[in-house]
Amino acid sequence: MKKKISLVVLTTAMSMMLLTACTGNNESANGTTQPVNGNGSTKVKTLRFATWDTGDALKIEQDIAKKFETNHPGTKIQVEAYADGFDQKLAAGFGATNPPDVMYMWDFPTYHQSLEPLNSYADGDKDLNKDDFYSGLFNYATIENSLYGIPAGFTTRVVYYNKKMFDDSKIPYPKDGWTWDDFQDISKQLTDKAKKQYGFGVRAENDTYDLQGFVWSNGSSLISDDGKTINGYMNSSETASAIQMFGDMVKNGSAVLAGGKGQQSGEDIFKGGKIAMWESGIWPLESFKQAGIDVGVVEMPAFPGKPVKGVVAESALSIAKDSKNKDLAWEFIKYYVSNEAIKMRVADLPVRVSVVKELKKDQDPLYKPFYTMLQRSDNTPAFLLNTKWNEINRQLSAAVESVVHGGNAQDTLNQTVKESERYLK
Amino acid sequence: MKRFIVYALLIFCSLLFAAPLFWAVTTALKSQSELYLFPPKWIPSDWKFINFVNAWTIQPFNLFLKNTLIVTLLSTIGQLISCTLVSYGFARFEFKGRNLLFLVVLATMMVPWEVTMIPQYMEFNYLGWINTLKPLIVPSWFGSAYFIFLLRQFILTIPRELDEAATIDGASKFGILVRIIAPLMGPALILVGVFQIMSCWNDYLGPLIFLNDQTKYTLTLGLSQFKGMFGVDMQSIMAITCLISIPPLAVFFFAQRYIVGGIAGTGIKG
Amino acid sequence: MAHTYPQTVGKQSASLGPRRKRRWGGAAPYLFIFPWIFGFLVFTLGPLLFSLIISLFDWPIVGKVHFIGLGNYVEMFTDDPLFWKSFGVTLKFAALFVPLNIAVGLGLAILLNQNTRGNAIFRTAFYLPSVISGVALAMIWSWVYSGDYGILNYFLSIIGVQGPDWLNDKNWSLVAMVVASLWGQGSMMLVFLAGLKGIPKDLYESASIDGAGKIRQFISITIPMLSPTILFNLITSIIAAFQQLTLALLLTGGGPMKSTYFYAMYMYENAFKFFKMGYSAANAWFMFLIVLTLTFLVFKSSEAWVFYEGEMKRKPEKTTKSVRKGRSA
Repeated sequence: MKKKISLVVLTTAMSMMLLTACTGNNESANGTTQPVNGNGSTKVKTLRFATWDTGDALKIEQDIAKKFETNHPGTKIQVEAYADGFDQKLAAGFGATNPPDVMYMWDFPTYHQSLEPLNSYADGDKDLNKDDFYSGLFNYATIENSLYGIPAGFTTRVVYYNKKMFDDSKIPYPKDGWTWDDFQDISKQLTDKAKKQYGFGVRAENDTYDLQGFVWSNGSSLISDDGKTINGYMNSSETASAIQMFGDMVKNGSAVLAGGKGQQSGEDIFKGGKIAMWESGIWPLESFKQAGIDVGVVEMPAFPGKPVKGVVAESALSIAKDSKNKDLAWEFIKYYVSNEAIKMRVADLPVRVSVVKELKKDQDPLYKPFYTMLQRSDNTPAFLLNTKWNEINRQLSAAVESVVHGGNAQDTLNQTVKESERYLK
Repeated sequence: MKRFIVYALLIFCSLLFAAPLFWAVTTALKSQSELYLFPPKWIPSDWKFINFVNAWTIQPFNLFLKNTLIVTLLSTIGQLISCTLVSYGFARFEFKGRNLLFLVVLATMMVPWEVTMIPQYMEFNYLGWINTLKPLIVPSWFGSAYFIFLLRQFILTIPRELDEAATIDGASKFGILVRIIAPLMGPALILVGVFQIMSCWNDYLGPLIFLNDQTKYTLTLGLSQFKGMFGVDMQSIMAITCLISIPPLAVFFFAQRYIVGGIAGTGIKG
Repeated sequence: MAHTYPQTVGKQSASLGPRRKRRWGGAAPYLFIFPWIFGFLVFTLGPLLFSLIISLFDWPIVGKVHFIGLGNYVEMFTDDPLFWKSFGVTLKFAALFVPLNIAVGLGLAILLNQNTRGNAIFRTAFYLPSVISGVALAMIWSWVYSGDYGILNYFLSIIGVQGPDWLNDKNWSLVAMVVASLWGQGSMMLVFLAGLKGIPKDLYESASIDGAGKIRQFISITIPMLSPTILFNLITSIIAAFQQLTLALLLTGGGPMKSTYFYAMYMYENAFKFFKMGYSAANAWFMFLIVLTLTFLVFKSSEAWVFYEGEMKRKPEKTTKSVRKGRSA
């Protein structure tokens, strides 16, 4: 296969020589923008760092890169902001064996074969101070005992609420330890259809990853712990009732269906003061504040008599297997997760215990619930348990979508299990 | 009465097409707290022109503008020259395999980029063109199927008698193209130029795949920096959208009279 | 494209002597089309063949490559409901979009072709949507279509109509996409407008002297004279319909309930969400052949209805005759 590829490339390249001769003038006009090409130059070592962040977060990352450059003379960190096109760019990069050296990463089951195992780096380097990280974060970047990424940020999921809307309806703010029954009651009371105001917003398209928190909290899971069985898990009555609850809230009008990808999102409606409660990670917190919403944060409600469980979404930094600058890449990662750099990244939840203690984040009512939820996150998400989870998830997502559009959860999930079991063989 | 209906329709349609853009402009000018109000506020209470400045300066947009100008200019020149030659070849000659080749031209329009993207990336990578503007410029010097097709259709409507007369006067095939066909094609060429400028200006995928370093980015890539995986900066997107729409709109405004005015000139020929 | 010029043309212009003409005629056309041939060989053919090759492989972008012969094609046709589902969605979209696109583009062009004041302004306004880049376009549409907070339903509620939640209602989402796609038809309108302006005025004048009404003139002059343009727009519309991806990707993500899950979206997800590059290439080749066949059929049919002025005299049809008369008058 590889041979064939290079043959195609070679023939095209031969003709290309001819071509470059033909378009000489065109090229010289272009010459002013000629790059200092990455690995080629002898003096300055260039390290390519790919991020999905945008806006202010990107700006901060560029600042961190600059600081690293001053600390390490002779290096250049080329921050490559792929934004929404992150997966496409990585696909092209890995496909042509020209990936960035360091990249943000969360989907380890998909990418791990192209990533450098970091166990020896992480264990062999005292400067990293691995024990200072919140325990458990490393598990999300570990596949078959190999560590493929160093945690850089994480979020758990909480419920945001609009204090003003609660005050207007004279409803007390929700408190930790509340239940889904409380939640549904409040949502009903805060809904006023005439004003197009709702207690809660249900996403039209859910990431099933996020739903796992509810399923675990109801005492079930999407897949067995050994990753081999879904029948009796994905379609258990606990799983079904957790998902059915959201479909019911849309049906009985106490929640609005918030648009799918790219549409007016639940966050936008929350910022407009038209939904009172919204369930999400840390991402929208800053923008809620900027929109002038007096926002409160509370941990997830519990199913009566059952412990609340959380789900962690983690972002980590990884090194490409094909990178030619692995040691420099490691230095950069280490700096990126150092106390100094973590403090610069104000929008991320710090991953180090020492930083959290120092900044007193765990005492700030807006941030504390994220850390309590972190302590409640000890289940393993399904995508780490089965390599074919992507395929199963395609079916499951469709099922969840049909439930929030009015379908019956138990029937739909039974059907999904039937259709997905072939992926388990 | 008929005039009145025509004007009413024109104005109605114009509003239909322009209203969303009007919203984009006002959104860009709004303060955060007014963004998501319902019923929507058409006119912001406080005009935040600073939003435009902030959006333009948070990333090096001047640089992005320069890159975009380079790509647009060079690729448009290339497209005009190459497509004129090729379309003339297809429209005015009979040769072996012409129909088959033309079908191949058309077929290249139908190739989905999803599958050719990675091999193309490999090829440019092999040439050392990744992270340069070359992949965005050089291919357009070899003609795009869409424009070749468009120009061919146009040349076919030019009466052959004109060529024949020139041939009798001793003009070569190339001479006919330069002296007879190309001047008559003026409007169509301007049309192609406008289309190429638009598509180049707004191209997102090409720059995304082939450029890495921010100093090479084009405007659309800069724009996409406001839409991340976890959040959208709506004001900035709208502000930049408005700003970067101005040059193509200006081009269009000045070009349109030639596109629609000039072609009528071919009417004289009969 | 299947127009073969009768031999008479060659003979007429052969004043340079048959031998010289033949030699010249032999190499010249290839010289003219050389840039395209070269570009095709270098930039398109390689990647195209590559995609054909990988369609025979299990080719995840990360991980090991296996040869599986026609396995991808077999799986696609026999074991993948999403393949048929998305193909159906795309056919439905194309059936709605292509005729509407032609009709709207032509209608707007005719409207702009009236001699009105402020023509330049109107033309620019009509073209406005075509200069807006994709990211902003999706946001604009989500603001228009949102069920409770959208501007469309806001206006509908003023006249007492309760609009649906357009993009979240599987009965309306595809229609909403068609409308959104039509909104950006500026280039089609422009091509039509250029074509309309190219129709000599004296044709209409002599036709009205002959007593033909507006509708008659439209049918016997405008349509045939515009037929090369119509052919162009028809084919590019078909291709555009089958490749429609951006709006779905940015606006609905294929939902709700896969009602806007276009074939291009399916292909895109297989490639970049599930990293099944080989499978996606197989998807692509299937679509490629379908569109190619459609285009070929349209071209074949065009011999019957497309009329090129450049070769007018060799088409002694009724309509062309009347045109001829008009022109020589």
